Amino acid sequence: MPMVLLECDKDIPERQRHIYLKAPDDDARECLPIANVPTIPGTLSERGCAFCGAKLVIGGVLKDTIQMIHGPIGCAYDTWHTKRYPTDNGHFNMKYVWSTDMKENHIVFGGEKRLAQSIHEAFDEMPEIKRMIVYTTCPTALIGDDVRAVVRQVMKERPDVDIFTVECPGFSGVSQSKGHHVLNIGWINEKVGTAEKEITSEYTINFIGDYNIQGDTFLLQQYWDRLGIQVISHFTGNGTYDDLRCMHQAKLSVVNCARSAGYIANELKKKYGVPRLDIDTWGFNYMAEGIRKVCAFFGIEERGEQLIAEEYAKWKPQMDWYKERLKGKKMAIWTGGPRLWHWTKSVEDDMGIEVVAMSSKFGHEEDFEKVVARGRDGTYYIDDANELEFFEVLQHVKPDVIFTGPRVGELIKKMHIPYINGHGYHNGPYMGFEGFVNMARDIYNATYNPIRFLAAQDIRDPLPLVMPERLREAA
Amino acid sequence: MKNHALDDKVDDLYGYIEERCLWQFFSRSWDRQENIDGVLDQASRLLSGKDPARSTPMESLFYADAKILVADVRERFPWLDEAGEEEVRQMMDDLKGRLVENVITRSKNRELNHHLY
Amino acid sequence: MSACEVAAPRPHEVKLAPRERAGVINPMYDCQPAGAQYAGIGIEDCIPLVHGGQGCTMFVRLLFAQHFKENFDIASTSLHEDSAVFGGHNRIQEGVMVLAKRYPHLRVIPIITTCSTEVIGDDVEGTIKKCYKQLEAELPGREIHLIPVHTPSFKGSHVTGYAEAVKSIVKTMAKKGEPTGRMNVFTGWINPGDLAELKHYFAEMDVAANFLMDIEDFDSPMLPNKAIETYGRTTVEDLQNTANATASFALAKYEGAGASEYLRDNFEVPHHLVNAPYGIKNTDDMLRKLSEVTGKPIPESLVRERGIALDALADLAHMFFANKKVAIYGHPDMVLGLAQFCMEVELEPALLLIGDDQGSKYKKDPRIAELKKQAHFDIEIIHNADLWELEKRVKEGPVKYDLIMGHSKGRYIAIDAKIPMVRVGFPTFDRAGLYRKPTIGYRGAMELAETIANTLFAHMEYTHDREWILNTW
Repeated sequence: MPMVLLECDKDIPERQRHIYLKAPDDDARECLPIANVPTIPGTLSERGCAFCGAKLVIGGVLKDTIQMIHGPIGCAYDTWHTKRYPTDNGHFNMKYVWSTDMKENHIVFGGEKRLAQSIHEAFDEMPEIKRMIVYTTCPTALIGDDVRAVVRQVMKERPDVDIFTVECPGFSGVSQSKGHHVLNIGWINEKVGTAEKEITSEYTINFIGDYNIQGDTFLLQQYWDRLGIQVISHFTGNGTYDDLRCMHQAKLSVVNCARSAGYIANELKKKYGVPRLDIDTWGFNYMAEGIRKVCAFFGIEERGEQLIAEEYAKWKPQMDWYKERLKGKKMAIWTGGPRLWHWTKSVEDDMGIEVVAMSSKFGHEEDFEKVVARGRDGTYYIDDANELEFFEVLQHVKPDVIFTGPRVGELIKKMHIPYINGHGYHNGPYMGFEGFVNMARDIYNATYNPIRFLAAQDIRDPLPLVMPERLREAA
Repeated sequence: MKNHALDDKVDDLYGYIEERCLWQFFSRSWDRQENIDGVLDQASRLLSGKDPARSTPMESLFYADAKILVADVRERFPWLDEAGEEEVRQMMDDLKGRLVENVITRSKNRELNHHLY
Repeated sequence: MSACEVAAPRPHEVKLAPRERAGVINPMYDCQPAGAQYAGIGIEDCIPLVHGGQGCTMFVRLLFAQHFKENFDIASTSLHEDSAVFGGHNRIQEGVMVLAKRYPHLRVIPIITTCSTEVIGDDVEGTIKKCYKQLEAELPGREIHLIPVHTPSFKGSHVTGYAEAVKSIVKTMAKKGEPTGRMNVFTGWINPGDLAELKHYFAEMDVAANFLMDIEDFDSPMLPNKAIETYGRTTVEDLQNTANATASFALAKYEGAGASEYLRDNFEVPHHLVNAPYGIKNTDDMLRKLSEVTGKPIPESLVRERGIALDALADLAHMFFANKKVAIYGHPDMVLGLAQFCMEVELEPALLLIGDDQGSKYKKDPRIAELKKQAHFDIEIIHNADLWELEKRVKEGPVKYDLIMGHSKGRYIAIDAKIPMVRVGFPTFDRAGLYRKPTIGYRGAMELAETIANTLFAHMEYTHDREWILNTW
């Protein structure tokens, strides 16, 4: 039986269909964890809501756009100060969040006037900002406010502003994934093709599904600049609203996060004939392959080879130093979805690390097809893992380090297992060649941390602790 | 050099693609099929020493994927250098069949035939 | 401003007004269910079940993790579309059963509503009855207390949500029994470091107390046996016995006093509301009241502790703090308490921001009257405020603020304006270990003053603003 029923799940046996333990002779086709289905109430799942998938993950990254959240205050408060996506204009996107602060009388009598007023105020208070995304939330969707009508009216009154509406209340879909979808499809249908920008290179791309976590976008932008490629739009790391209206102008869509942004790349292909190229940007081997493919598409292979050679010369020796010391370490990945398949093989190839367990919060079955194809035998592949499953699997696989969020990180600290922020990183960027060295360095610093030896010691033990000699070396 | 039977060779090639190629796992059956045909047709040309088609954006895309694929499999599987045109065609046909079978026909991904993206 | 400037004498104003904009830019508080979750995790053998979308739980757990650097278990009913249409009560029932079966130690499940489930109108009380039946049928003998907590997000804030939850918990759980000889202490929303300080005072006064909620272990150890001990310590029995206490002390008017009043009205437990013990005078008042109520004398040890604090404050007040304008934002009890504390050490709390819409209550707060009596400068108090109110005033004047005191969500106002900032309140995720340090009591006053001083000193140094003063001090 390839799908596993964990001991902690004996009362919720349907969880068996979500947990796969890969064995050498399995036919992977028969063993696909079921994904993107409703969570069982009370399981302590780690999933968020559709609203956050749209606002926090994608829209809120933009550096020039007001994010107006039509709802009670919590939806704004909660999707603020939880991300690390800087911008080159002073992090406008991380500093502010906007809410219509709905109260009971707006629930009873409707919140449309409140929304209009809040939109006008926001533009008045920040007169240099001319772009906005309006989001509905659970209660505004339930009471049926006509948000689009309000937005149309405001745009009529303020001809210099442009506003995009996202209608995905938190209860829609089963996870943040629904919000990605709604924003992607809405944007292509309503905004792409409504602006044109100056073309400065015959090689133009959209870079899709990268959110500038700790400067990922900044780092990759250096590569595109060196290759002479113009990035028409970043969806959405360090991106602007108007650049995203010009996505149709690109000759190629290069996709990193296919889960959160594959939809728009697909639609660009269907609607505008812009081909979609999926690449992996974490890892030496993968990054080089991605650059080679982009350059082959444009017929500028030599530029690509030169860049790869320069980057390898600069960073590969450092990576190899870490690989020597990380070889055989065991890692678990407990994140959103795509990082499972982006990382499982690249940490193995570039760092010698074995990924022994993975859980995805909002991945679809497509993500599991990818990760099971790439991942190791003997590894757990779990959809929407909950806390008790997490503890049980840890007992089986005993990882040396876990890539996950800060809350789970605090939990495993008590179990003497170091965590690295798998969403916002510890000290990134992690993409690209330099970035992957950063990631290796963070894993080295985590797994060669003296604290775990100290933590294991009971001071009542007759034998005093003997610390390993020269645990760490100068990198 | 070991004399691989055709099936073993297709196994090798399939193993490489399964582990490395994201284009096989696009969102819907139709675009998986499109990618399998597009990339492997270009790969056939390259492996047979023919010029790849590059007149449309999609052809350039398939060329880009195929070029890296061919470079990698040539490095991994030296027997490819000795394959004739007919053998390449046969291998690619079998490979296509294997891919279609695994990532489309038998795939348990319930979204493959969704009418929307 | 120099102290010797001659200004035309005019009466000093203490102005209280709400935010005038409809929308919020940068909120000060989260919504009601977040506060209810904070109250819920203070109970031992308890996992709150939040009835709403998953984000309502996931982000709040993250928020607590950010602040405490700890994990807390909170469950969600994972409301999806079908529930929005057909009602979500089944998901409460399913959630309760799943929790009960998978967590055998569980004794309490507060069921916390959100905006969506209040709009849908799910019958929580009725569903709880069904849950009890199902528990009886499937897990006979298992006693689990289900507590309805109604906290629609479109009312109040996380402050009122906390108050509402504490009240609902006490209402559901309090049960007449033998007198315990203990006092209830409704602490309000404080940190483990604060609670440790309170426990110390009650121990010094030799008064047995039931602290609600006992969150001291929210600062929990990394142990050789890898045990996870991060949870609330207020037990089912503690909650039941709130009805049997000698008296209740409510230390926060807006965070738990309602529960204390409920016990007075229904179980004749005497209710004593005191000012939240920020600063010396408020701590004095709390201890005096405690002495008065219990008849126990204030011991010499506390006279000395008070003296140590005063000794430290005296070094700082007129030399470093005088004439400095301070902006303070956060929970109402804390903001008003800290304003009083500032006055004690010659800091001038010129701007106070309180983030929710209980304006009529704030108008009548005696602490504001007290500030009015004492202030020799203008004080602006904004309620229902957002942090944009602060940012605009910091950027546009006319008052030039020398110090900002508040939680981490306002950090960029201070960073961009290059104004020294002391983190206080909830959440304070961008400074290490603050949850462990008291801000209440004598020691809290002392440590806070010292943190303020050290923050000002560091600012003097990196801006080269008379940093040479500290060449000898």
